[in-house]
Amino acid sequence: MKLLHRQTWPRLRDRHHEVACHFCDSLHDVELIEEGQTAYCNTCGSTLYTNRPQSLERAFAFGLTGVLFLLGMLFLPFITMEAQGNNLTTSAGETVIRLWLTGGPIISVAVAIFIFILPFFQLASLIYLCLPLLSGRAFPGMVPVTKLMQGLQSWVMVEVFFLGTLVSLLKLVKLADITLGLGFWSMVGLMLSLAAAVGGIDKLELWDRIEVAYRRRKTPDVSVEGGVEC
Amino acid sequence: MLASAREKNKVSCHTCGRINPLEEASCLRCHTPLHSRKKNSVQRCLALSLASIIAYIPANIWPIMIVTNLGRTEESTILAGVATFWQMKAYPVAITIFIASVMIPALKLLALGWLCALSAGWIETNPRRANRIFWLTELVGRWSMVDVFVVAILVALVQLGNIMSIAPGTAAVSFGLMVILTMLAALSFEPRVIWDNARQSASS
Repeated sequence: MKLLHRQTWPRLRDRHHEVACHFCDSLHDVELIEEGQTAYCNTCGSTLYTNRPQSLERAFAFGLTGVLFLLGMLFLPFITMEAQGNNLTTSAGETVIRLWLTGGPIISVAVAIFIFILPFFQLASLIYLCLPLLSGRAFPGMVPVTKLMQGLQSWVMVEVFFLGTLVSLLKLVKLADITLGLGFWSMVGLMLSLAAAVGGIDKLELWDRIEVAYRRRKTPDVSVEGGVEC
Repeated sequence: MLASAREKNKVSCHTCGRINPLEEASCLRCHTPLHSRKKNSVQRCLALSLASIIAYIPANIWPIMIVTNLGRTEESTILAGVATFWQMKAYPVAITIFIASVMIPALKLLALGWLCALSAGWIETNPRRANRIFWLTELVGRWSMVDVFVVAILVALVQLGNIMSIAPGTAAVSFGLMVILTMLAALSFEPRVIWDNARQSASS
């Protein structure tokens, strides 16, 4: 085998690894690629898989950062408004409760789900997966947890909420004096760390690593190619 | 054009990407039920698109926000809101809301209809173009939610007693529903069928 300068991820040696393009279904062999490289489909040019640099470390670190920012967004003052002697400071968590109380129960539940609950589950799943995998170990229930994380992908809307906040601010500055608090900056941090954490590890790499970790628990001397051994 | 997994009697797991023999019912690695192609993708996609069009009608007729200003109540629909922002010379806001709430849903539904026609074989085009359109459709769909979030924030924050208060209108819920339905429609679409058609016409 060719000597690789940078790391590839480990995979089982017991079968021939192939991948099908999820746009056009063209079948390719999975070549071991170095960190930072990407494999594209020969038929339609879509991305097949990517080897993200220091994937587990980054996904874990940004996942943890994201949870901290999420807590900050929930409890720290998000925005302060001052108009005609009225003074109002609220966190994003309080905002959702205020929305519930002022007659928008359905919208407030939707916001809570898209902005707090689903991002939390996504980050928590990522942490649960990456922590044991960093030392090549498996935790129980990794398969359903990974499925959950992948299923949530389309429904996490922190960045859309961010745009919504900016648009509302443009309207609010006409009504009151606005000060942005730490809660607002936590939201920006959450948005960035979510992107870095979820985009930090490729789907194929994650599943290959989980498969190796599970097999190792049953037979410790399992035959693996790629990874540090290369 | 490379042979597809299906032509080689194999099926790729939608969840974990492992290649399985076509006769397997569930993935050998992650145990997810396997489908070589999503079932009834055109029907599902069209049904969900239709449902979202139905939800889009009340979303535009009913008010999305009810503003009470010094005892005067004013209801505003999505389009009226865009017009108001435009008159207030708040051009970036007007353009953002117009793109997110009017243009994206309309273009997305057109795109899904076009893609369904392609995979049903009624029309033909370069499948690479279909890929790009589908990728874009999946990418932009969520951004329509912006309007719902704007209403949410304004309602929660603008409660200044008698001076000014904002309440959510019925349209906010139907608009949110519309966005969710178009996202589900895009998720149920199967781009691989378009490539199956292309392979077939290339070989015949």
